[in-house]
Amino acid sequence: MEETTDINRELMLDANATAGLLHEIFGLEMTAEPTECANCGNEAEIGTLLAFTHGPGIVLRCSACEQVVLRIVRTPEATYLDARGAVYLRLTTHKTHPESDTLGG
Amino acid sequence: MKPTLNWQLASVTNIKPETAKVKSFTLTLDSWTRHRAGQHYDLRLTAEDGYQTQRSYSIASEPEREGEIDITVERINDGEVSTYLHDALIPGDRIEARGPIGGYFVWEAGLLPAPLLLIAGGSGIVPLMSMLRHRAVVRAKNATALLYSSRNFEEIVYYDELEKIQSANNGLRIFHTLTRSQPADWKGYARRIDEEMLKEVASPLGSAVQVYICGPTLMVESAANALIKIGIDSNQIRTERFGPTGG
Repeated sequence: MEETTDINRELMLDANATAGLLHEIFGLEMTAEPTECANCGNEAEIGTLLAFTHGPGIVLRCSACEQVVLRIVRTPEATYLDARGAVYLRLTTHKTHPESDTLGG
Repeated sequence: MKPTLNWQLASVTNIKPETAKVKSFTLTLDSWTRHRAGQHYDLRLTAEDGYQTQRSYSIASEPEREGEIDITVERINDGEVSTYLHDALIPGDRIEARGPIGGYFVWEAGLLPAPLLLIAGGSGIVPLMSMLRHRAVVRAKNATALLYSSRNFEEIVYYDELEKIQSANNGLRIFHTLTRSQPADWKGYARRIDEEMLKEVASPLGSAVQVYICGPTLMVESAANALIKIGIDSNQIRTERFGPTGG
């Protein structure tokens, strides 16, 4: 893939690194939400997407086929979201924080 | 999870050097929300001319500590934010922060009692340390291994605390590897993380192990690929890549 040169590979992050930005856009924590790649059909949490954040916009790619799933560009006036690479995005209606005081294993 | 994610002014209440290039900062938050181990905060700096820049930093402390968090930050030589945090920030200063952020790279003892394998490269130890501190506080007993790769002994972050947590004998085993130089009496690994090393560390944990890997991107890639080769399903592996050098 042309855009995925070695230096881009080295700068690549996971989509958890963009969790704050996604929260700004959707008003929700998105990285634990599932999505489906329009190219290969891989279904996985948004947090699994590969994040390329060093260009003028942010590109999130499928971890299975590496095709573009989401593209986000921000200008001073607006945010542009290109979601052609996603079959769907899921926005939880209501999410409560799970209690975690019980003991493990 | 609270519905909005707002910036707030956090107060720096303590700064602790961890290694020559790594410091921990305690931030006290008026609007504190209990985090989940593995989550991060965004910090934002604003210059006098209005220029803003922000970075994400993993939370190092356990969720059970109320009202404040620790972040642990490596000083990157040309890093806009990490150099400010290291060189200019003093206790009493205030800094813009928002969080906790991220719902994917998280581990909670109560929700995920399976065997746990944590793999860290350099300052990638930070979110995993939050998980280990959480695990220690709630006295979880699930079989857990930490494989922690550092360049040399002096660069190991939290070494003493890790030894202490391990000696509590709660099912945690810690393996260090030093990739560049080792002390004369070093008994740990002395090479980059590879398939053979992962096999030795992971096999006692069984096939249902949950894996969290955090570190420089190429190290994370190579560790994740090696785990898949030794038979661990990619669905059991969560990664947090932090770029070429991190921070």
